[in-house]
Amino acid sequence: MSEPSAPPSSAPLSSTSAADRVARTWIDFWFEPASPQPLAVVRILAGLLGLALAASYAGSLVAWFGPDGMIPSDAVASWRPRVSFSPLDAVTTTTGLWLFFGGLVVALAAVTVGVASRVACVMAAILWAALLNRGPMLAGPADDCLAVILWCLAVGPSGNAWSLDRLLRDRRGLPPPPPSPWARTSLGLLRVHAAAITVGVVLAQLKGDVWWNGTAAWWLAAAAEPTVVDLTGLYRRSEYLVNLVTHGVVAFEILYLAGLWFDASRQIVCRVGLVAWPLIGVLAGEPFWGLAMAIFGVPWALGRATPVAAGLPSADD
Amino acid sequence: MNSSPSPAPPRLSDTARTAASVALAIYLFGLVLAIAGNTVSGSSALVRVIKGRLFSPWMQPAWLDLGFDHPLTYGMPEDASHVIKVRRRGGEPATLSMPDSTFGEGPARWRRLARAIAEAAPADAAAPLVAGVAAGSFATLAAEDVTVRVLRRPLEDRSASSGEQRPQQVFAARVRRVAGELQVIELGGAAKRVELAPVIRPPVPSNRTDSEGAADE
Repeated sequence: MSEPSAPPSSAPLSSTSAADRVARTWIDFWFEPASPQPLAVVRILAGLLGLALAASYAGSLVAWFGPDGMIPSDAVASWRPRVSFSPLDAVTTTTGLWLFFGGLVVALAAVTVGVASRVACVMAAILWAALLNRGPMLAGPADDCLAVILWCLAVGPSGNAWSLDRLLRDRRGLPPPPPSPWARTSLGLLRVHAAAITVGVVLAQLKGDVWWNGTAAWWLAAAAEPTVVDLTGLYRRSEYLVNLVTHGVVAFEILYLAGLWFDASRQIVCRVGLVAWPLIGVLAGEPFWGLAMAIFGVPWALGRATPVAAGLPSADD
Repeated sequence: MNSSPSPAPPRLSDTARTAASVALAIYLFGLVLAIAGNTVSGSSALVRVIKGRLFSPWMQPAWLDLGFDHPLTYGMPEDASHVIKVRRRGGEPATLSMPDSTFGEGPARWRRLARAIAEAAPADAAAPLVAGVAAGSFATLAAEDVTVRVLRRPLEDRSASSGEQRPQQVFAARVRRVAGELQVIELGGAAKRVELAPVIRPPVPSNRTDSEGAADE
């Protein structure tokens, strides 16, 4: 631990210590060495989520982006922002398309099992962004979350625990990797993005009358495909239930947002989030988005329950 | 068991920490602008210019220029489920339905494509996508003259009696390939109909001559 610097004699004591406190808080939040284990759990879950989302492209990949596909790259060019592009625009053959897709699947599989994790995360993030930019109108909120999680993981050493790389390292008799400041940076980015996404969702909801008059839950159920979970029959019987679910969703999101920033509440809201986010995802007809939101909070939901090696800080430390 | 104390974890040098802090501060500023600049409410010219010039060029290709503006629902008709139907014109009737199933993320992507067409239709921006969808269906339907329709499942009011309602057609266009060129002929649909203003003609007095009426126009 670095020694606190003495305040300059000419500066007022209170302002110097306030600046020091801000600096100390910033450094602790972003750079205090942290265990890679919570990050490794996020890596594994994000890899599995990525494989599931990639699989949803596989069935119609050629129909959408193939040589005679329904979403030609020149049509997309007028659709997306001028500065945006996708390396997939240049892929004009079916073989090339499948090679690209195979590369994405390999990168996501490497993220999941933990092979060259940092490189795998960077590659997966680049290829995933390329796929989404090739057909932006196909992308959903879960895709956005996965892109963010992959970039966050690329910053930290998520492969230093529960990975194939770590297994091979242990077999060679090498000492376990020490806690890393970059693991903390990565965890900080995950937390900031969990809050940012929740802010975006809450702000968007509070612009709509249905989230104030308590009927949003009904409209979600009415819009959902009947085969997912049909709650319309239940909702028809009780308006109060519709109101309760609607207000409950917003209340949870606001509590989650606030709870993320306090030591006393972080673990509780993240644990509740493991159930609540997927549930909201199912209600909204976006189950993968619900899972992605739950993944953001996994490091703090695990907290001290994680079997962290003695002496290593957990995500909460 | 090794009883020696574990070595102190490595820490970043001041230079590395400063560089990383600057990078983080820049990114966090970009994140705030992305949220402020990607909402359904629109954004200020200042935010648009700063984000567009400094952040979007690298955040957009990385799929990080996101507003996370997901209300889940506003209870509007547009929030309902959309499907695309492509029907061969002439000959044996044949229709492609996309998605052809309801459950899973794959069908959800088709529904987003259908909704994108419906949302672009009022601004006359749907033609490139519709042409693509039609051209991609030509081989399957063995025809180069098709009708592309986007249908929307109506949202049922809670107080209404439950029952299957007919899907509403929000967009329709005939697409054909003539001499190698794709032609998109829009046939209307609810998305287009809302653009039409009612025609109001003032009653013409019976004693007015034709020349007076022409002068008014």
